[in-house]
Amino acid sequence: MENGAANPIIVCENVKKWFGDFQALRGVTTSVEEGEVVVVIGPSGSGKSTFIRCINRLEQHQEGRIVVAGIELTSDVRNIERIRSEVGMVFQQFNLFPHLTVMQNITLAQVWVRKRSRSDAEERAMALLERVGIPEQAAKYPGQLSGGQQQRVAIARSLAMDPKIMLFDEPTSALDPEMIKEVLEVMQELAGTGMTIVAVTHEMGFAREVANRIVLFDEGQIVEEGPPSEFFANPRHPRTRMFLSQILSH
Amino acid sequence: MANRPILASPKRPPLWRNATFLKWAAQIGVLFGVLALGSVLVGEAMANMRAQGLSLDWDLLTDPPGIQLGEGIFIKPSTGLEAFYTGAVNMLRVALSGIVAATVVGAIVGIARLSSNWLASRLATVFVESLRNIPVLVQVVFWFFLASTLFPVLEEDSSGPIPGVLLVSRKGVSFAWPFPQETFWQWGAFLVAGLLTARWAYRTRMRRAEALGEATRPGRWALMAFLAWAIVGWFAHPLAGAIGWLFMLLAASVGAIPVLVYQVVLALASLYLGWRWIHRFLESRRSPAGLAKLTDDDYFRMILAGALGAGGAAVLMLLPAATEVGTNVIQYLLEFCDQKFEFLRSGAPLAIGSPSVEVPGRFPQIAGTGLTMTPSFFGIWMGVTLYTASFIAEIVRGGILSVPKGQSEAGYALGLRRGQLLRMVILPQAFRVILPPLGNQYLNLSKNTSLGIAVAFPEMVQVGQTMFNQTGDTIQVILIWMAFYLSISLLISVLINYYNRRTQLVER
Repeated sequence: MENGAANPIIVCENVKKWFGDFQALRGVTTSVEEGEVVVVIGPSGSGKSTFIRCINRLEQHQEGRIVVAGIELTSDVRNIERIRSEVGMVFQQFNLFPHLTVMQNITLAQVWVRKRSRSDAEERAMALLERVGIPEQAAKYPGQLSGGQQQRVAIARSLAMDPKIMLFDEPTSALDPEMIKEVLEVMQELAGTGMTIVAVTHEMGFAREVANRIVLFDEGQIVEEGPPSEFFANPRHPRTRMFLSQILSH
Repeated sequence: MANRPILASPKRPPLWRNATFLKWAAQIGVLFGVLALGSVLVGEAMANMRAQGLSLDWDLLTDPPGIQLGEGIFIKPSTGLEAFYTGAVNMLRVALSGIVAATVVGAIVGIARLSSNWLASRLATVFVESLRNIPVLVQVVFWFFLASTLFPVLEEDSSGPIPGVLLVSRKGVSFAWPFPQETFWQWGAFLVAGLLTARWAYRTRMRRAEALGEATRPGRWALMAFLAWAIVGWFAHPLAGAIGWLFMLLAASVGAIPVLVYQVVLALASLYLGWRWIHRFLESRRSPAGLAKLTDDDYFRMILAGALGAGGAAVLMLLPAATEVGTNVIQYLLEFCDQKFEFLRSGAPLAIGSPSVEVPGRFPQIAGTGLTMTPSFFGIWMGVTLYTASFIAEIVRGGILSVPKGQSEAGYALGLRRGQLLRMVILPQAFRVILPPLGNQYLNLSKNTSLGIAVAFPEMVQVGQTMFNQTGDTIQVILIWMAFYLSISLLISVLINYYNRRTQLVER
């Protein structure tokens, strides 16, 4: 039972969010188990990105409650800092720091937020670069790497903080088709290690193979959610059927 | 199969159709054309001046100018050179202190404009919009007017607003200041040693930090090393007076060697530089596979480098006067340094002077014991500083806004605090956008100091104008002005470009 809530690490209750007059989230209620891989899909403008950006307070929800790793997200600055240090995030545009080398990108927050010594941080960074398959790029600047390599550095940078949860906001949408695979492989490997993952993505192959649960957003609400086998084979909601027919037909 | 070329090797075009040769010939041609045109114009101008009884001599630099300046090193200069020197130093005082102050104020206001604090951002907006929309001349006159008519009248017993530290009056604003004494240079030798040690300590501690991953506090070590030298030097500086002997020895030996020796050495150095350039150029074209094929362009460059080296050597050998001027200047500088040191000369290197009032005649004056800003200085300084600060604020704001929002989001998502994010992610990236226009503002500020003439502040333009009113040597004064402002501006440009290159992003 996916909502049986044995050990939920993210709990959202009736979350609402407005941008001016536009309501982006119209009451989202869901929870994520520890070690669960949740893929969020939906048409553009459906609020799926806003939803995961609310989980680490890059966007501020106005109504409802969000509890992450037992910490409630309120305007308490200390809670926000604690949650951000437990939650890693990977962006569509990578957002690497262009003035720092790959190594410095990965060590910066380790040294200043996690208070590790530089050599420990560098050791950890090297191990992660090995894991994402580009140890030889450590001394380069982000501008010298391909999109896929940059996104893998971004993943390593987040992992270096030892997060309990990883959020992916359309991590492959800005990549060339042949680079998508290398990023998805890293994500798949990560899912295999038991990391809790919430990913917004259009990669249905990834969703089908790796996800424990798929959540469909439309107009700021969750329309349907369920394990991939059920979700793809047996969609209950007509909106889901329409969305699936549009993305799977070609 | 042998690697047979598909195409026959190309035929070399004749010289007059060779694109590279034509390019270089055109450049050399233009150079000679400009030189020829310039010499014709100058010759013509000189002939016309002679016909009108004007002369382009430089007596105005050595003759007593018979003028008096409002403030500065030589208030009653005995030569024109002293007058211009005073004007130049006054200009640099305003420009340098103005650049520092405008940068600090501009950065604070620029960041404040982006602040989420409503009051701070509105105040900053008012600051920028009012100051940048009023002509700088009006602002200079305004501050001068404020200082010379609305500040308190100077009385014999004036001491306020902070007695002994700050004195504000219509005759100037005077404050306490540590003035260098005659032993300052001796202490300065210790400070230089301190800086070198601090640099060394910083680097070694940094290397240790990187090797062992310990927190080695390199900044603190460097500061301690510097302070140790400064404190020891404060008491031990009479010993450093011995450095004077070194300068004396150097000055004497510079004077003792005949000019011909310098000429030969410098000419050889010139030849060597030309040769070294060619040598290094060839080295850079050489790969493990052997020497790369040189293009015609490469040959022209090497010929030019060689010609410059040989030409320099020829000029040095044919014109002993040029070398002689050089050695005289060096000898003078060495003797000047020699005077600043005297073995076992003691006394505090710095002495703090407090503002005070004296009554030399009928009216009270601010005595020279504190550091005093006259109303003229106050006017030009406040005017150019605040005016420029308003532009710098906009440049800083634009620079910060130029950093994509994703950078802050990534930083926050990693758990960085706002201050850390600003310091380590946003500002370094904003800086490279800020630098070039910031350099322009520094140049503007330096050149705007010439408005000092409006409030009788004796900077370069005011001094020059007074000089040519006295002597009628307009052309000479204008040439001095142009040379002066050009060299200051070029110096600022070179510095800014240097930092600009260092902060560029690496891509590909």
